[in-house]
Amino acid sequence: MGKKTIVPIGPYHPLLEEPEFFKLYCDGETVVDMEWETGYNHRGIEKICESKTFEQVFYVVERICGICSTSHPFAYANAVESIPGVDIPVRAKLVRSIVGELERVHSHLLWVGLAGHFLGYNTVFMWAWKYREPVLDMFEIITGNRNNYAMFTIGGVRRDVDADKAAKLLQVLDDVKKKTNMLIGAVMDDPVFHARLKGVGVLTPKDIHDFGAVGPTARASGVDIDIRRDDPYAAYEMLNWKVITAKEGDIFAKAEVRLLELLESISMIQQCLELLKKEKEGDIKVKVKDIPPGIGIGHAEAPRGEVFHFVKSDGSNSPVRHKIRAPSYTNIPTFRKSCIGGTISDAAIATAAVDPCYCCTERMTQVYDYNTRKRILNAAELIKLSQKKTQDIRDKLNLSSSTDQTWKV
Amino acid sequence: MNIEKYIEEFKEKFPDIIKAEVVNKKRLMVYIPKSLLKDITDYWFTGLQYRYIIVSAMDSKDGFELIYHFSDDRTGWVMSLNLMLSHDNPEIESMTSIVYGIEWIEREIMDILGVKFIDHPKPNRFLFAEDWPENEYPYRRKIRQEDR
Repeated sequence: MGKKTIVPIGPYHPLLEEPEFFKLYCDGETVVDMEWETGYNHRGIEKICESKTFEQVFYVVERICGICSTSHPFAYANAVESIPGVDIPVRAKLVRSIVGELERVHSHLLWVGLAGHFLGYNTVFMWAWKYREPVLDMFEIITGNRNNYAMFTIGGVRRDVDADKAAKLLQVLDDVKKKTNMLIGAVMDDPVFHARLKGVGVLTPKDIHDFGAVGPTARASGVDIDIRRDDPYAAYEMLNWKVITAKEGDIFAKAEVRLLELLESISMIQQCLELLKKEKEGDIKVKVKDIPPGIGIGHAEAPRGEVFHFVKSDGSNSPVRHKIRAPSYTNIPTFRKSCIGGTISDAAIATAAVDPCYCCTERMTQVYDYNTRKRILNAAELIKLSQKKTQDIRDKLNLSSSTDQTWKV
Repeated sequence: MNIEKYIEEFKEKFPDIIKAEVVNKKRLMVYIPKSLLKDITDYWFTGLQYRYIIVSAMDSKDGFELIYHFSDDRTGWVMSLNLMLSHDNPEIESMTSIVYGIEWIEREIMDILGVKFIDHPKPNRFLFAEDWPENEYPYRRKIRQEDR
């Protein structure tokens, strides 16, 4: 072996805009070994949760991830509700599934766009992100926020999806479905995608088992696991859907799984909306008095794979220990298998193929003019602006403003 | 899955386990002495092909509690191994020789609780910076009580 060169990626990733650090040891163009460093984003959230009440923890775990911000509350709700053994109303189950699946749609569209961007195929990036926008608008209509939806609570959900909103959601979904089909056709038939992704970053079922990888990363290697089917929660038992798998294990298979999952998710939301009609409006929550001492283990299928929450209660109003495992925690180590032996340029897309999430959320509260240092906008004005935007979307869709979506500044 | 039968057979295979109980719907917790960890991990992960999920670690009154979570995806059961390490000598064998993916969480537990994993292939800092003070472990009980 010749002299090894170290190629650093990070701590600021040139593409992902999240801090992590990969050291690629290269012999010529070939990656022969790699190391990674993490911890740039460690916020001690598990520790923070121990000082919050069971109710407040929802809003903390929601902020773990800016993209899949429902998956953590979902797993946490499953964990906490299992301690007293709460059975939530059917309507709440359906609303939870709708939010969960809508999130999968926007998250997978985001990944498809990024994958195109990584390959230098920016048309896909622009398409996918354009089609993702109406989905985020729908989130704003249903929950009041594009992200960090604050929908979950112990014993149910906090806002209902009424008939008006359901009808609008169906309309938007029809449109998204058409666009998704077009996108699938464009990506799957594209010779550039085939040439660039087939046979690259292959993970075998044994690799998946060794690392404990989950979600589309595992399913693309033929490992047929999906928490929504294997350990059903929310409304997934009531719906008719199938788990998408592929055999090849390369990056093309991962793209294929995610794209086809989009259609499954859209169909699941449509079924949920249909089932919602049979349930009484407003029946979205049961009262849970307190959480007895005990252990709660909950998991949920996030867009990236299984999110796992372990909660220990001692009978007080806050958890004694709250352990969180995000899917990327077991997916990212698979880079050792998918990158080593490939070229440096393949490493860029291989590291993106598992849709890694380094948990970033940034918050802007004030805007200053760069030259004069004069404040242009403050937090209150920004909140007002965002509320005005929500109202504009509602006006455009002819939805009346409802009381549950006015906030105090 | 017939859990009573499963527990019975499990106890026959590993008679030294302390107890096995169903903590919630589809959640089994097996309390074991630390000497059994390697054998059961090998049986579950390599033999029965259970999926490794994560290790939860906490500081409790009697010692450091480590809970190894595995999942049987064919039935949806989450199987957990619960073991206690003494406060004076928190040491346990690293499971990296069996479960490759366990490397990260063992390093994380070394950072946050100061539990030592023997024969870990890369026992350096994971979450905290290299200049984080020695012997300062934020998830230990003493620190938590001061916080409150």
